[in-house]
This record gives sequence, structure tokens and C-alpha cells, in this order.
Amino acid sequence: MSDAVSIDVRVRADAPIPLDVALAAGPRDVAAVFGPSGAGKTTLLRTIAGLHRQATGRIVCRGVTWLDTDRGVCLPPHERRLGFVAQDYGLFPHLDALHHVAIALGHLPRDQRRAEAARLLALVHLESSASRRPASLSGGEQQRLAIARAIARNPHVLLLDEPFAAVDRATRRALQDELDALRHRLDMPIVLVTHDFEDVIRLASHVTLLERGHVVAAGAVGEITSRVDLPWLAAAAGRGSVFTASVDRVDERRKLADLRFDGGTLIVPAGSLTSGRYVRVRVPAREIILATSRPEGLSLHNILEGRVSGLESDERSGVVIVQIAVGETHLLAEVTGDAVDRLAIAIGRPILALIKSVAIEVG
Amino acid sequence: MRPAARIIGAILLTLSVVVVARAQTRTTIAAASDLQFALKEVEAAFEADGHPAVDLVFGSSGTLAKQIQDGAPFEVFMSADESYVQTLVTAGLTKDGGVLYAVGRVVVFAPTGSPLQPDPELKNLAALLAKGGVTRFAIANPEHAPYGRAAEAVLRKRGLWDRLQPMLVLGENITQAAQFATTGNAVGGIIAYSLVLSPALKDRGTFALLPESDHAPLRQRMVRLKKAGAAADAFYAFVQSAKARPILTKYGFALPGQ
Amino acid sequence: MDWTALGVSLRLAAGTLAILLPLAIALGRVLAYRRFRGRSILEAVVALPLVLPPTVLGFYLLISFGARSAVGQAFAAIAGHSLAFSFQGLLLASLIANLPFTVQPIQRAFEAIPTNVRDAAACCGLTPWRAFRAIELPLAWPGLVTAAVLAFAHTLGEFGVVLMIGGSLPGQTRTISIAIYDRLQAFDEHAAGVMAATLLAIALGALVITQTLARRVGRSSE
Repeated sequence: MSDAVSIDVRVRADAPIPLDVALAAGPRDVAAVFGPSGAGKTTLLRTIAGLHRQATGRIVCRGVTWLDTDRGVCLPPHERRLGFVAQDYGLFPHLDALHHVAIALGHLPRDQRRAEAARLLALVHLESSASRRPASLSGGEQQRLAIARAIARNPHVLLLDEPFAAVDRATRRALQDELDALRHRLDMPIVLVTHDFEDVIRLASHVTLLERGHVVAAGAVGEITSRVDLPWLAAAAGRGSVFTASVDRVDERRKLADLRFDGGTLIVPAGSLTSGRYVRVRVPAREIILATSRPEGLSLHNILEGRVSGLESDERSGVVIVQIAVGETHLLAEVTGDAVDRLAIAIGRPILALIKSVAIEVG
Repeated sequence: MRPAARIIGAILLTLSVVVVARAQTRTTIAAASDLQFALKEVEAAFEADGHPAVDLVFGSSGTLAKQIQDGAPFEVFMSADESYVQTLVTAGLTKDGGVLYAVGRVVVFAPTGSPLQPDPELKNLAALLAKGGVTRFAIANPEHAPYGRAAEAVLRKRGLWDRLQPMLVLGENITQAAQFATTGNAVGGIIAYSLVLSPALKDRGTFALLPESDHAPLRQRMVRLKKAGAAADAFYAFVQSAKARPILTKYGFALPGQ
Repeated sequence: MDWTALGVSLRLAAGTLAILLPLAIALGRVLAYRRFRGRSILEAVVALPLVLPPTVLGFYLLISFGARSAVGQAFAAIAGHSLAFSFQGLLLASLIANLPFTVQPIQRAFEAIPTNVRDAAACCGLTPWRAFRAIELPLAWPGLVTAAVLAFAHTLGEFGVVLMIGGSLPGQTRTISIAIYDRLQAFDEHAAGVMAATLLAIALGALVITQTLARRVGRSSE
């Protein structure tokens, strides 16, 4: 069962930044570490990389022990088979793009490095910038170069620190898509640190919630986002369950698309969706209306049948979070306590979830 | 991170530098600064006489003696007095007690254009001083230059020492004092007779010879150091020989036996 | 123009650079990257020759290495001549006097390399030695050249210490700056002027080079 674990991290530190984290990721996982500034995310990442040496614990990656304080093992970064992209990339100002990647190919004989470097640049769509220096590259290009450099030595894990923090929104979408495409070609886990939940929604398969160095919750993204507790996450990222769906059918005329998931079908505006694609779906909790009977004459398209699987009252605001099981997926809905009383919503009762098409976030 | 290669490279370079630097040195004579011009001529005559060249290093007698004590590799020391030679003899650094080679004289010197009119009794200096017309007056440092000591003695004898104190500029050695005396910032100075007789200074001003009775005699003694080789011995002998004596006389030195 | 003296000065400068540069690179790097107790003291010691009058340096050198000291006598026994009043003695004095001129620019140059660049180098799989050669050295290059140029020019102009422990021995310790002093004392102003102008030109040239380099950010290399 845990032969599926590529990297296993268990670290603790008291000072200068407190840390107490256990984290594991399998071969194709994208493990996001999410938390506010100062939560210790970057410290954790740097500890995994071996740049931060004050933590104790154990880190094993594909059978190789990187850190084992009990046995006095602490490999320096260059002996750990990893790729690391810092928040501001750390590009070498004096090298052009090709040499950036070539310099990381020390494991190859000299004559093969150029060709391999060119191949990697093409992988991140930078082949035309091979002779340019970092200063003349745009933010997005710099990031792609940093990633190309990081994966050059076929690392066993790729560590990304706030990779999209320095770019604008439009570039961010494009880069997220590229990273997503890239990771399907690479056979390594990605550990991604971010304070923007959108990154988690868009890319992550697993998420660890970190606050002040402690793990608040950890698990698959779909599971964590559909938990009724975790007010912390609600405050940080808003409530809304995340799951994967496939684009079934696109109706050109009506400009609508069908998204199929294990709980049913959702109808959303077609946008630029094409049939057969897999997409990430997020349904904000506020956008779900609950009903005990099927309504007529409403504009919305989506009416899902489910069963109440959880209830949590938020004392402060008087809002109740209702967890609805729709197939294997769990949705979260925010309604007033009064509504709960009126509809006599209780765990186990069948319920209908009404969702506006345009409210669904498709990534 | 200390790359080992660099350390090795540095060591190798050091060794090579040491090897290279140990060039052939010639015999070096340490001489008091008042011999600046006279000894150069003597050395030229020495070479013309068929001997190999020797190097001359000039300085104040006290400084040179100290350097010899600290290990300077001079082979002959020509002091402007006898006490510094004695110090070295007592320290066991010399071959013998040395020999008197010349007696020097001091002069009062005024550069061209100076208000000072040199006279043997320093009457003009006294008058100038009384008028407040003395800006600066140059002598060698009495602490370690025999010619400076002589200058002080003369000034004291004439009752000018105390009043002249604030205006004195002290030269490191007698040639530096001569420099100060000729640059025009000083009204003049008391410098070595041998210097004013040189072509370099002859036309720069006027001077008056100061009476020998005004100061302790400048008996100049020279000695060979322990390490002195054949060339040093030869030079030592040459200075005392008939070939060198006319040169010394030309520069105003009185010779032993006269 | 006293060519022998110029030769002594150039040999002194070259020898100083050859020994001091690798040391300064190592020391400057340690000071730039390592935090350790006593680091400030070490930096102060390095900077000391900047504020110390050369006579103080000469004084301590004479006391420690003169013929009357234990070290001096040991050296004389091995080398056959004294450490003071020899080229080697000058070289030693020059190494000490030039310490801040070499270490400080190099230290600044290493400090100027962003930490994330060095981290990236390590995470690229570059061993510390390769990272030093391929990343740090090229980026610190302007600082290195500045250090070399400054030390070279400074050694050429070194006077006070040479006067105290040199003895003005032709071919050994009579540097060009001493030769100028010498010529002045011999009232040979012309020769002194020629040599002084030469040194002035060299000093100006050195400053122009360092100023130009200060503007450059980095250098391309592989």
C-alpha cells in the first residue's frame, strides 16, 4: 500500500520557525501545502530541500534517506535528487537559458548536454529563447526556465514555492495549464507551496493545511474541501467542494456543456470546453440552494439528488454548513439556521441541491 | 568551503616567489646622509679603479645603526659620528672597532631670495628672529642625526635655541634638512658643509661655515660589520686610500692626520 | 627612472597578488556566507590595516620578525638572511597591509550574490566546488578584479612600512616609492618627478578600471 509513497516527510523544529509536519506524496500526486503567510510553508519546503537545516526528523524519498536526525544523516541539497523552484526563481544572471538547463545536467556526458538542454527547453516552450539571459525574459518565461532547470536532472520530487505569486492572472492560468500538462508527462510528485487556494483547486490532488507550523488538516482535495468543519479554511479560502469531472457533451447551439462526475451531471456554460477533457470543478457553498421537493419554473439547470451527510453550525454567524453526499462526492451548502429548521434538515434525510450554472467554477 | 587546489597553488606560488626574489645582491654600504654626494664620487672612483660596484644606502646615522641591529645586511657602516659605531661594537656586530675616516663641518645656509644673510656667528639670524622674520628654520633631527646634534649645539651656544624652537623643522636626516632649507618655505637651516659644496646645492643659495669650536667635533667613524666580504674590505680600504682623499677634501671634509 | 626599483615594486605587487588573492577569496567567502561567533572580530582584524598607520605595522613587524626576535632568528637560521630588510619581509608586510583591500571587495562581491541563486545552484545538483566555479566566481568576478587592482596599486605605493623595515636595499627592498624619496634627498628632482608621474598614472589607471567594473553587474561564462 505505501509502495505508492514517493516521498515521506516527518519534521519538527522549535526555532527559529516552529514546525511540526508529517507529509507524504505518491508518484503522481500534487501535494499542495496551503496556509497564510508565516505559516512555515516555505520553511517546510526548504527543509525538504535541505536548505534549512534546523529541523529534526526524517525524510525519505524513493528509498533514499535524506534526513534522519536520530542516525545523524542529513544530506546536503546537491546530494538530494530533487528539483526546487524558489519564489523568485533564483535564476543565474550570467547564463543564457540553454546553459541554465545544461549546467544542471552534470550527470550526462558533456557532448549530450546541449541536446538534452534544448529538449527540456522545448518541453516548456522556451526553445526560441535559448540564447537569452534571465533579465530579458518575461515573468512567465523565467518561471518556465526555472522549472526546466529544476526537472533537468530527473528529480524524484519537484518542490515549488509559490510558483505563481509573481505573475499576473492571465499568465497564471496559462502557467497552471502548462504545469498540469507537464506533470502528466513526468513521473514525480510535486510539492507545491501556496497561499492562494486557487492553485490548490486547479492543480493539487492532495492538500495539507498549515498554520503556524502545525498541520490543521491533510488529505485529498475533494475530501478536505467538502468537510463541514475547518472554519479556518473557510475563512482563508471560502467554502466550496472541489472534484474532478469529465466534459461529456458540448452543445454549440445552446452554448452549454455537460460535466459528468460520479454524483451526476452538471450543466455549465460551454466557454472554451471541449468534449473529452477532464476538468476541476468547484461549487461554492453559498451557491447551493437546498430543497426538499423538486421546484418548477426556475431558471437553474442543475438539480442534484443527494443525502445529508453532515451538519455543522457556525455559532458566530448563525450559518449552518450542510454536507450533502451526491454519489461518492460530497458537496457543501451554506444556509441559515432558520432554513435548516424550516426544512427539518437532518443527517440521513434525502435532499435536493440546486446550483446555478454560472456559479460553478470550472478550471 | 576552502578549495584545496587553491591552497596548494598558493603554496607553490609562494615558494616560487621566494626562489625568484633571492636575486644576487651586491655589497651594500650604509652611509650617513652627509656623504650623499661625496661617497658617490668615491664609489665611481672605486669602480674606475677596477673594483666591482657596490650599492650605497644613505640615511641618518642613528637610523642606520638601528637597522643594522635589527638585521639589515649592510657590510660597511659609515657613521657621521663615533657613538653609533660604538653601539654596534659593543653589541658585537662588527669585525673591529672601526676607523676615523673624516671630520665634518656644519654651515648656516640660506636659499636664494631668503631674508637670511648667513654669517658665522649667526648674528643675522638673531636679528631676523628678533624682528619676527623667521618662518621656519631647518636642521636634522638631533635625536638620531649627528649633524642635527651639532646644529643644536651651535644654536644653544648662540642663545638662539629656545627662541627658535617653535620654528624648527626637523629633517629625518641631514639631506632632508637640506631639502627643507632649500625649498623656500624655510628661511634657511644648519646643514652639512659637504652638501652645500655639491653641484646640486652650490647655486641654490649662500652659506657661512660655522666655527668648529661651537659644537663637538663631527668625528666620522666607519666600521665593517661581521658579514663583510672581500668587496666590502676593498671599499673600506679604498676610502682611506690616497685615491679617495682628494674627493673627501673637495667636499669639505677634514681628514685624519691633517 | 630607476628600473630596478620599478622591478622590485612590480615583483612585490605580483607576489602579493599571487598569494593574497586565493586567500582573500577563501576568507571573503567564509565571511560572506558563514555566521559564526567572532565573525565581527575577524572582520575588524581584516580591516585593521586600513586605519593603522604604516609605522605601527612596521613597528610590530620589526619587533616580531627583526633580528632580535625569536622568529627572526629562526628565519635567519633557515633562510640564511634576516626576514626584516629582505624582499620576503616586504612581501609579508605587504600581505598584511593589503588584507582589507583584497578581502573586503571580494566579500562584498560574494555577499551580493542572492541567496536564492546559491540555493538554486545547490538544488541543481551542483557540488559546492562546481557551484563556486560556475556560479559564484563569475558573478563575483568584478569584485575579484577590483581587489586585484586595488592591491596592485596599493602595493606599488606602499611607503611607510617599506621605509621602516626595508632598508632601501637596491634590487631587494628599494621600491619605486622609496626610490622617489631617495632621489629627492639627492636633489635629483627630475628623476623623482619621472617616477612620481609614473606612479600617478598607474594609480589613475587602477581607479578607472575599478570604477568601470563597479558598473558591471556580472559576466557571462559557463
